[in-house]
Amino acid sequence: MERAFERYRDIIPVFEAFQERLNSPLPRHVRVNTLKIKTHLLLQSLERKGILLKRASDPEEPIFLVPEGSSPGTWLEYALGYIHPQALTSCLASLFLAPEPESYVLDMCAAPGGKTSHLAQLMKGEGLIVANELQRKRHLPLLNTLSRLGVMNAVLTAYPAQEFPLKERFDCILADVPCSGEGTFRYAGRRFRQTGKGPSRNLCETQRRIILRAFDLLRAGGRMLYATCTYNPEENESVVDYLLKHRDAEMLTLESPLPFLPGLSIWNRETYDRNIQQAARFYPHLIDSVGFFMAKIGKRG
Amino acid sequence: MEERFGIPVSEFQDGLLFTHQQSWWFLKKSPSTPLPSRLKVHMVGLKAFQKVGAFVKPTTRLIQALGPRATKSRLDLSADQLQSLLAQGTMDLPASDLEDGYVILCLGDYVLGPGLFIRGKLQSQIPRKHLKYYGVDK
Repeated sequence: MERAFERYRDIIPVFEAFQERLNSPLPRHVRVNTLKIKTHLLLQSLERKGILLKRASDPEEPIFLVPEGSSPGTWLEYALGYIHPQALTSCLASLFLAPEPESYVLDMCAAPGGKTSHLAQLMKGEGLIVANELQRKRHLPLLNTLSRLGVMNAVLTAYPAQEFPLKERFDCILADVPCSGEGTFRYAGRRFRQTGKGPSRNLCETQRRIILRAFDLLRAGGRMLYATCTYNPEENESVVDYLLKHRDAEMLTLESPLPFLPGLSIWNRETYDRNIQQAARFYPHLIDSVGFFMAKIGKRG
Repeated sequence: MEERFGIPVSEFQDGLLFTHQQSWWFLKKSPSTPLPSRLKVHMVGLKAFQKVGAFVKPTTRLIQALGPRATKSRLDLSADQLQSLLAQGTMDLPASDLEDGYVILCLGDYVLGPGLFIRGKLQSQIPRKHLKYYGVDK
C-alpha cells in the first residue's frame, strides 16, 4: 500500500483508513444541468437505457453517483449538455457560495468551468458571472464547457487573479485557487512525488495575494469562498489566517450535507485564528471523493 | 426566432447581442446586474448565430439551450430515423408540412440541434464531432 502524506498523520484522523482509501478508485459523479433539462426527465431517459443514477447528496441537489465502470463523458447526455461529470466535493463549493439568481459573481480561477457552470445553474441563468482565467491555453476548455452547458450569463476575462482590477465590486466571489492538488491523488494516473518539502513559497504567496484581492473585490455584505483541493495547512488555514490578520473579514458557517472536519487551529507550531475552525476539511475516507478545503468568508456591511 | 420557432421574444428581452465578424453572441443579464464595462472582456455569453452564405443560422448550442421552448418547426425523430439521418447526412420527408428553412431536431425530450429542410429533404446540421455520441462512425 502506498504510504502517502505521512506528514499529515497527526491531523488526519483514522489515518490508516485515509491511506487505504487513497488506493481505491474514485467514484464518478455527475451533476444534472438544470439549465437545459429537468432532473426527472433525464433520470427517466437514462433509466430507459438501463443507466441508473444514485442520488449522492441532499435530495434537492441534482448530483448523482454513476454506475461503476461507466464513462459519462461518452454519453449523448454529456454532448447535449444535460450532465457534467464533477467530483462530489467540487460541487459543494458552488453550493456553499450559494449565489442568488440576480447576483454579480466573480469566479477568479474559472477553468475548466465545472464550478462556473454550476454557479450559473444555481443562479438559474440570471445575473452575471465574470469567469476569469489567466492561462490562455485553458480558455478553450472553459468556453467549451460553458457553451456545452448552455451558460448565457457569463463573460470571460484573463487577469492574474491576484491583480484583478479593483474597478468592480461583486456580491459573491469564488476563489478556487491554484494549489498543490494533494486531494486529487486518487485520479487515475495522477501521482505525486512525495518530497516532504511542502509547497513552493511562490505558490503560498500567490494564494495569499489572491485571497486578499478576492476580499477587496467584495461589496459590503458580500461573501466569498476560498477553496483548494489540498490538505496542506500552509495553503489552507495559513492563507485564511493571513486574510483575517490583514482585513476586517469574518468567517461564515458552512452547512454541509456531507461529513467534514473543522479547520485546524494549529500546525507546525503555527497557530491560527480560532474562527478558522468554521472552515471545512473534506477527506476521502469520510466522503469518498476528492479531498478539499473550503472557507466561507464575509465582508461586513 | 419567434417567427420561425415560436420561441418567445421574452427569452431575449433581458439580454444583449454582440457581433464579431460573421457571428453573434447572446449575453443574458438581469436588469439589476451591472455590466463589467470597465473590464477587458474576451468573450461574452453564448455564440448564438452565424452567417452562412446569405442566411443567418442559429448555432447548435443556442438551439439546444432554447429549443425546449420552441413550438414551431420542430421535428421529432424516432431513434431509427435519427440514426439514418446522421449516417446518410440527409433524409427524404416528402409528406412533411414543414416550411423550408431551419428546423429543430428532437429525440423524445432531447433537443439535438438544427436541421435544414429544403423541398422535402432534411439535412442534418449536427456537428460532425458530435456524431460519435450518437454511435455513428464518420
